[in-house]
Amino acid sequence: MSNNILDINSRNYNFKSFKLNTLLVMKKISFFMTAMLFAVTACTLDKTDYEDEINTVVTEYIDYEEVVSITKDQYLINIVALNGTFYKGYNEIRLNITNTDTNENVNTSDVTFLPLITNYSGNSTSCPHQYNLDYNTVNDYYLGYAVFTEESNDSENWELYITFTDNEETHSVTQAITVEEQTNMNLNMTSFTADDGEQYFIALVAPQKPAIAENELVAGIYKYNQPTNEAGTFPDPTQFSYTEVTDYTLLLDPRMPEPSMGNHSSLNNEDLTQQDDGLYYGVVNYTMTGNWTLNFIFQNQYGEIIKGTEVSTEFTPGIEGARSELHIDILF
Amino acid sequence: MKRLLIIFTLLISNIFVNAQDTNKKKDSIIALDEVKLITVIKKKIETEMKMAVSVDEFLASSDNISFIKRGAYAWEPLLNNMSSERSTITIDGMHVFGACTDKMDPITSYVESNNLAAIDIKSGQEGNMHGATVAGSIDLKRRSTPFSLTKKWKGAYQTGFEINNKQFFNLANASYSSNKFVADGSLAYRKAENYSDGNNDEVNHSQFTKFNASLGLAYKTSELASVKVEAIYDQANDVGYPALPMDLWLSRALITSATYKQLFENGLFKALDTKIYFNAIEHYMDDTTRPENLVHMDMPGWSTTYGLLSKANIKKNRFSSEIQLNAYNNLSTAEMRMYPQDRSERTMFAYSWPGVTTTFAGLSINNAWEISDKSLLNFGGSLGVNYNHSKYVEFNWIFHPGTPQEKTRILPSLHAGYQLNIDNFNFSVGGGYGHRAPSVSEGYGYYIYNSFDRYDYIGNPDLDNEISYEGNASAGYANDKFSLQANVNYFYIKNYIIGRILSLGSPMNYQSIGVKGYTSLDYSTLFNFSLNGSYSILDNLHWKGTLTYARGKDENENNLPFIRPLSYQTSLHYQYNKLSFQTSINGDLEQIHYSPEYGEDQTPSYTIWNLSADYTFKIKDYKTVVQVGAENVLNEYYSTYADWGNIPRMGRNIFTSLKFNF
Repeated sequence: MSNNILDINSRNYNFKSFKLNTLLVMKKISFFMTAMLFAVTACTLDKTDYEDEINTVVTEYIDYEEVVSITKDQYLINIVALNGTFYKGYNEIRLNITNTDTNENVNTSDVTFLPLITNYSGNSTSCPHQYNLDYNTVNDYYLGYAVFTEESNDSENWELYITFTDNEETHSVTQAITVEEQTNMNLNMTSFTADDGEQYFIALVAPQKPAIAENELVAGIYKYNQPTNEAGTFPDPTQFSYTEVTDYTLLLDPRMPEPSMGNHSSLNNEDLTQQDDGLYYGVVNYTMTGNWTLNFIFQNQYGEIIKGTEVSTEFTPGIEGARSELHIDILF
Repeated sequence: MKRLLIIFTLLISNIFVNAQDTNKKKDSIIALDEVKLITVIKKKIETEMKMAVSVDEFLASSDNISFIKRGAYAWEPLLNNMSSERSTITIDGMHVFGACTDKMDPITSYVESNNLAAIDIKSGQEGNMHGATVAGSIDLKRRSTPFSLTKKWKGAYQTGFEINNKQFFNLANASYSSNKFVADGSLAYRKAENYSDGNNDEVNHSQFTKFNASLGLAYKTSELASVKVEAIYDQANDVGYPALPMDLWLSRALITSATYKQLFENGLFKALDTKIYFNAIEHYMDDTTRPENLVHMDMPGWSTTYGLLSKANIKKNRFSSEIQLNAYNNLSTAEMRMYPQDRSERTMFAYSWPGVTTTFAGLSINNAWEISDKSLLNFGGSLGVNYNHSKYVEFNWIFHPGTPQEKTRILPSLHAGYQLNIDNFNFSVGGGYGHRAPSVSEGYGYYIYNSFDRYDYIGNPDLDNEISYEGNASAGYANDKFSLQANVNYFYIKNYIIGRILSLGSPMNYQSIGVKGYTSLDYSTLFNFSLNGSYSILDNLHWKGTLTYARGKDENENNLPFIRPLSYQTSLHYQYNKLSFQTSINGDLEQIHYSPEYGEDQTPSYTIWNLSADYTFKIKDYKTVVQVGAENVLNEYYSTYADWGNIPRMGRNIFTSLKFNF
């Protein structure tokens, strides 16, 4: 209830001069207020544009574009990848073969795909890849992947060895390619020898552009198969065999390594397990932008730890966070 | 017109006269006035002691207000020992929301004592007129000069100096009124340096600078109607918060409104008052003056509110009612950007308020029925719809996966009170029921660092409404010389919202020791008691005393934080011609019922003695008052139960001020 209001202006004081002064003051006040009204409608500091903020260090590529096209006799082979570029790390490969005589897509072929890198002494190695490409009937292309383990440089070059069959005839082509540096750390990869003596590769597939949110974390995990037989005719695929690791588990502990963040972590993260498409899926929560380390512990199908160390969960302000021996650094 | 206004005012106030007599304290609007005998009853020590008070100091003179203090500036008012999200704090009914996640800018920090006429404090559900509440409402009433038949100029200028923190202030206000047009304006500037505590040690980072200006223009469009536009601009620079790990670089507020008022001579409706308003607040924290901080962090915040309020007054015979429609839309956004030690590295960014919209619409009705000359029944209710939307809901999903982006709540409120006046005795009894929605921080806050308990706080969008059941009673006796009044209220609050330690997640701010999530306790209870007495020993010698006690407990009988221990204030006022002297003693007893769980430690008792004297004289017909006084005369070193981080209060402070009225 509006009781007890004592109006300060209800008392009248004698007023004689001061009028002019006050008038001036009033005028000044109104001028001042008008000026202020204009001044204040704009903020002193601009708000952060969240989209721009996330885009600062991360470029997201959505479009698949042609990386290279190869002509072999009457066949035209197109290789398509994200942004028309092969990057170090995981690359989805889409391949089209067209018979230019008939102008028809070749879609019943057995296509094999083998990337090899040859160093200055002539030794060739490969990288995790899908050797026999699958035909995707929905989108009409052959689908596979390659996890390039190194960028192209002056002394080491990548070449693709592709074979395909058409009309019961096998054709093979070789094409030099360039593998570029992956600047998006969210698609980083790592390779290591685990306690079982095998060589493994972990490559991040998604998210390309993480958000301060719950992110589905997708990784490919591969293993190098030691050849059991003598090398045949080059390139002998048995010498360069990689497989997707099945039914392993990748335990996840994401943390911010920045010393001032004191080993900050997030919650509700989920370990990566293999799904039907062969890739490993988990959940990572990023609570803010910046540098994060994905600390991993690698378990085989029997639940045995074959790589990775547990990291401290202590909050340690001022000290750079310790990383697991198996980890991938990301930045967004 | 003026006559009509007066008649109308009389009509309206007539029904409240009884209420006023029987219910002095409960709905006290305290006039911001100079020391005047007539107002002494309404005011307490600090304003009696001091004629140039800040809004905070002034609010402190109410029984049911206490403060969380983070320094010398922008104290957070606690009504009925409840934190500020439980009360609605408005300026002339306008909702304004602070832009700081750390509550460095309560609304009371965006006004100045010389643009306010009064502060209307209502306890509990009686304060539901401006929106849903649990604790009550604090409405800051702007100075508003009425139309006058003759042209009139009025004004005041006040200046002063406080020695302890070298605070220098200048306050000026002027008004012009005529039959058709009224203008009110005010300017205020305060600048203070660090204060010193009772050990004469300087409390670093306790300085402040504040500028405030206001303007109101009213025009009478017809005999019974007027329009009014008003604006307040407030700017604070370089404000230190010694209890916090950061200071304020700049805060600015622009608070504007346009009002249309229509009076009616005949019929049921007596007045219709409609206001549209807009206010924008920006708040930028600054930690660059704190080299001890490991991390440099930018923490800007913005709060923008649009609103409408429309009020109708109805009166018939002994029945009167006030109906008010409130609607507002607020967008609160706050960011944090941490800088890595290697500044070339990427900064770390997150929203602490991820673009949270609050839209509220509610209808409130308060009725007064004068049953007889001795008794009065008040009853009322409100129904509101509260809608929240989080723009970047993915932030909320981190702790609350899948929580909806939008949330709508229905907020009902009911209250009733009966007042009885028999001879010199008065009694009242009342009850209330009401819901409130969680605040932006409680619902959507994201890693908001609380330096009191050193936890990062996470909001929960799925919190239930807080539901309050309250009862209140008062009894008093008053005669010409002596008065004694006791007030008591009790709150049973279901789903009481408070931060509880989360075993999930790890802190983000390097000072913090863990993460707390806002959760609902099953219930908590709060009890407030106050006893006021006054006695006119001689015609010109008056005594006044107050005793308050409060107790707050959670569902497990543990203490709630920030509950004021037994506190007392006693003052004497002596008038000798144009000289007047005031002296007062106030203090709290030892805080027995503290809450370690919420970061409190036991605060020892303290007693403060204050003195002041003023002299009124005329310079060429202009009334002039000069005042000299001292607060904390004995230079006691103390901090109160609600001083953030036990930051010591100001030691001995000698203040002087001079006021001209014309």
